[in-house]
Amino acid sequence: MAALTHDLQGADREGQVARFQHLRRREQWRYVLLLLPAVVFLIAFYGYPVAAMLTRAFYDPVPGLQNFEPLVTARSTVEFLGLSIPMNAYIRVFWITLQIAAVVTIVSLLLGYPVAYALSSVSASRANLLMIFVLIPFWTSILVRSYAWMVLLGKEGIINEALLAAGLRTEPLVLLNTRLAVYLGMIHIMLPFMILPLYAVMRGIDRNLLRAAGNLGAPPSAVFRRIFLPLSLPGVAAGCLLVFILSLGFYITPALLGGQKDVMVSMLIQQQISLLKWGFGAALALVLLILALGIYALFTRVLGVERVFGSART
Amino acid sequence: MTVAAQVRTPEKIGGLGARVLFDRIEKRYGPVIAVDEVSLDIAPGEFVTLLGPSGSGKTTSLMMLAGFEIPTAGEIYVDDDPIAAVPPYRRNIGMVFQNYALFPHMTVGENIAFPLQMRKIGRSEIARQTRDVLELVGLPGYEGRYPKQLSGGQQQRIAVARALVFNPRVLLMDEPLGALDKQLREHLQLEIKALHDKLGVTIIYVTHDQEEALVMSDRIAVMNNGRIEQCGGPTDLYDEPETRFVATFIGESNFIDGVLARADGAIGYVEAPGLGSLRAPLKPGIAAGSPVALTVRPEKIIAHDNGASSHLNTVDGTVADVVFVGEMRRYVVALPGGQRLVLKAQNRSGVQSFNRGDAIRVGWSVDDCRLV
Amino acid sequence: MIQRGLTRRELVRRYGAAAAGVALLGPRALSSVASAQEATPVALPEIPAIPAALKGSGNVVVASWGGAVLDAQLKAYIEPFQEMTGITVTVADGPDPSKVKAMVDTGNVEWDVVQLGRGDVLALDGYWEEMDYSLFDTANLDAALMRPDSFAMVLFAEILAYRTDAFPNAPEGWKDFWDVEAFPGSRTMPAAAQLPFLEGAVIADGVPMDEVYPIDIDRAFASFDRIKPHVVKWWEAGAQPAQMLTDNEVPLAVAFNGRITPVKEAGAPVDIQWNEGLLAEDDWAIVKGAPNRENALKFCAFCTLPAPQARFSMLIPYGFVNSKAAELIPADQLARLPTAPELRPKLFLRDEQWWAENRESVIERWNEWILE
Ligand SMILES: Nc1ncnc2c1ncn2[C@@H]1O[C@H](COP(=O)(O)OP(=O)(O)OP(=O)(O)O)[C@@H](O)[C@H]1O
Ligand SMILES: [Mg+2]
Repeated sequence: MAALTHDLQGADREGQVARFQHLRRREQWRYVLLLLPAVVFLIAFYGYPVAAMLTRAFYDPVPGLQNFEPLVTARSTVEFLGLSIPMNAYIRVFWITLQIAAVVTIVSLLLGYPVAYALSSVSASRANLLMIFVLIPFWTSILVRSYAWMVLLGKEGIINEALLAAGLRTEPLVLLNTRLAVYLGMIHIMLPFMILPLYAVMRGIDRNLLRAAGNLGAPPSAVFRRIFLPLSLPGVAAGCLLVFILSLGFYITPALLGGQKDVMVSMLIQQQISLLKWGFGAALALVLLILALGIYALFTRVLGVERVFGSART
Repeated sequence: MTVAAQVRTPEKIGGLGARVLFDRIEKRYGPVIAVDEVSLDIAPGEFVTLLGPSGSGKTTSLMMLAGFEIPTAGEIYVDDDPIAAVPPYRRNIGMVFQNYALFPHMTVGENIAFPLQMRKIGRSEIARQTRDVLELVGLPGYEGRYPKQLSGGQQQRIAVARALVFNPRVLLMDEPLGALDKQLREHLQLEIKALHDKLGVTIIYVTHDQEEALVMSDRIAVMNNGRIEQCGGPTDLYDEPETRFVATFIGESNFIDGVLARADGAIGYVEAPGLGSLRAPLKPGIAAGSPVALTVRPEKIIAHDNGASSHLNTVDGTVADVVFVGEMRRYVVALPGGQRLVLKAQNRSGVQSFNRGDAIRVGWSVDDCRLV
Repeated sequence: MIQRGLTRRELVRRYGAAAAGVALLGPRALSSVASAQEATPVALPEIPAIPAALKGSGNVVVASWGGAVLDAQLKAYIEPFQEMTGITVTVADGPDPSKVKAMVDTGNVEWDVVQLGRGDVLALDGYWEEMDYSLFDTANLDAALMRPDSFAMVLFAEILAYRTDAFPNAPEGWKDFWDVEAFPGSRTMPAAAQLPFLEGAVIADGVPMDEVYPIDIDRAFASFDRIKPHVVKWWEAGAQPAQMLTDNEVPLAVAFNGRITPVKEAGAPVDIQWNEGLLAEDDWAIVKGAPNRENALKFCAFCTLPAPQARFSMLIPYGFVNSKAAELIPADQLARLPTAPELRPKLFLRDEQWWAENRESVIERWNEWILE
């Protein structure tokens, strides 16, 4: 008898829990409905074409995985830390791409952080004004900006002319068609993408926290190190992520400003498309996408973006 | 110090707190005067509340003391030393911010340890002091939690703990209870009060809740438009408001507008239209013939039916409205001259009750009213 | 404007025709293009009466690359064609092999005639209507250009371009281009997207121009090894070599003749060495299942008549395919065309068939090689 009551209670409880979960689910569905138009739009005009393109990797020209074969076929080996690693041009290009994206990200962060910090410490109206200068590059096409770098960096470009005129050099420096030129061109384009999320997060940092730290005895350097910097990390993470992933897909800048070996994955993809080897191009794009997603996952895990995000907004 | 002489001497003097003196402090933001010639002498260990409506300059005053705003004129002294040249992080003044300003990325323990780390105190000592101060605010064992895992009241206590842990001699609290519900607020008011009694630290407390100010403070400085309108003990402010603003802001008040007809010794005679001559204690600085308001608290007015009044100020009127609120009745009385009075009559036997439309004679003692 | 592969089309699609044509070229070259076109004499040769077989009715859809090429095509072919045949022409933009593939695969063919590189036509084997040459002016056409599934519409050359101020003697051919002692300085050559310039590599290594095909790929890459350290840029877009010559980034380049002529005429110290130049073609191809196949054939046939060919080459410096056109073009203009009677023998025709068979493996090898 006692056991029966107990069971009944248990069942009742479960029923209640289920009802509650049902209500919660209904609540969640309401939010999903709000997102629906955007989701439908994205699926129809972005998700579907991208998926259609990427799935070609598996059936164009014939079904199978042969499109991924060149990626894993070793053409040579490279000695690294005493290991001999199988190598081919495609792996190399992926490696170069990662390298370039990483350098661009780090330098953009180092340059962008102080700018965002300065912008976030002036009044909102002045910041809006100064923001125009950050955004101006946005309004110029990537091609024009790359060309501007060519004018600056060329053998007879402004920098070399100045160096020669000043007598600092007798021979022009080789600046154009180098990795350096790729970095410059890409960082120039990427800086706003770094500054904007940094700025957004920094603006959101409660100034009273900084005052509180000062009040508790922290000199300005400690206020920055212990309070501002950690609280700005979500912006750092978002900015780095954005810049890194956008950099992975760069095409025009390295093609125009880079040297012999500055080949990035997107140039390779472009080449395959022009060869009508869509399947292999799709395979390359798919690997790049997986790489980007993997890095995104790594970012959020390692930097704990979500945790920091959550706590910065108590 | 000329200012010190003007300010009332505090009744209670604690041991550990510091004296704080605002000497004709002014703060302008462009054309806006946020704080206007504020002078205030706070005795060591005193609990002083800055009370005023939003935008009256309370926070700005605290910020200048904490060092985050620089006065455009005047000087602040702590224990007779001017502090203008001392950067905020060396002022050693504890502060509880309006929204607590707990560091969201640090645990409770790290938050409380922060001021101690800045003072280069050893690890084990920090741990001990953290434990002690958490005990003091009634949250022992909370070291590992993050601020967002705490309720509003708990966050408030942690903010207090963090502001106290480095033994500041002055503690500033900017509406520390503003975000909490009424019950919790009342509970914490008493706790803060108890802490103050225990520690003897000088507390400057900011609120716009007059009840809170009355409950907690040794003295209240009522601020309005950047100025201190009146500063004094809770009873002084309630019973002897010097300005109409103070009378309105603290408690409920009736105002009868009239003209000061003449003065007779300590008594002034106010002519109010339709009400004849009313008497009130005379206040220096009001010349005969100038417009004046007579103010009297609702609970100090007594209602009769039509019998003779033993009170010195008596007026006849009609009950315009009655509200029964349990322990008392609240009447709105329409007076012949068109003015209105609110009065509160206790709900007990022997006190006559009235209905709407009844004729009513009300009166109050001359000593219970003030001219403003 | 004409070049192989999708590079330019990609740019157009993403950044608009102006960006692809202009931004890569830069302001200096841009103005020169404009002035070169304005300077072109308006007196285009009249088109004599056409065979009745070319006349008709209805419509034909022509997919052209647009831009300056289309402007020339409109004046040279399309407008007179409409007038003289009674067939209306609808110009579609962005001929793309993948679109052709999609159209044919889904049975939804919207285009009749498409302008494509011969390589692209070969790559889409089986997607084209057979060319019926019965309507064509076959007497004056090069039989080598009369493919079964497409017909050359225009010829352009990949030539050696150099700065006239860099060397005492002009480079004579690919041997000189490879000779970094006699002709010191950096080089720029096409990247894989434009097809690696294997032909130049083997000629530099001693293979006579008319024995280039089938290319000895190993020999070509060995030859590339020697020049590789001196190539500062493997260019992707046709505008780049012209730009680099003008900016004196390099004294020597492999470039398209149509890109060099404008900068030369604008006064840049740049010239073309026609010797051992590579002649490549853009073709008209008729999409399989084209709704207006008859009109499409008439259009192709009309375009290859001497007068329309001459008009086109006078409007834009690309070569004609009808040898009789040379008689209609003034001498000074003829001199800048790769198909001019004096120049044509210096050039050799790209073997598109060989490339169709080897392009993939060459580019794969190239990708490895470039990163070595
Ligand atoms: N940085 C500033 N720039 C311009 N005006 C300011 C600034 N800070 C405060 N003020 C103005 O100074 C006045 C006093 O502000 P303060 O914050 O001291 O008010 P408060 O009494 O604390 O009000 P609340 O109860 O709303 O917190 C207000 O009119 C405010 O608008
Ligand atoms: Mg405030």
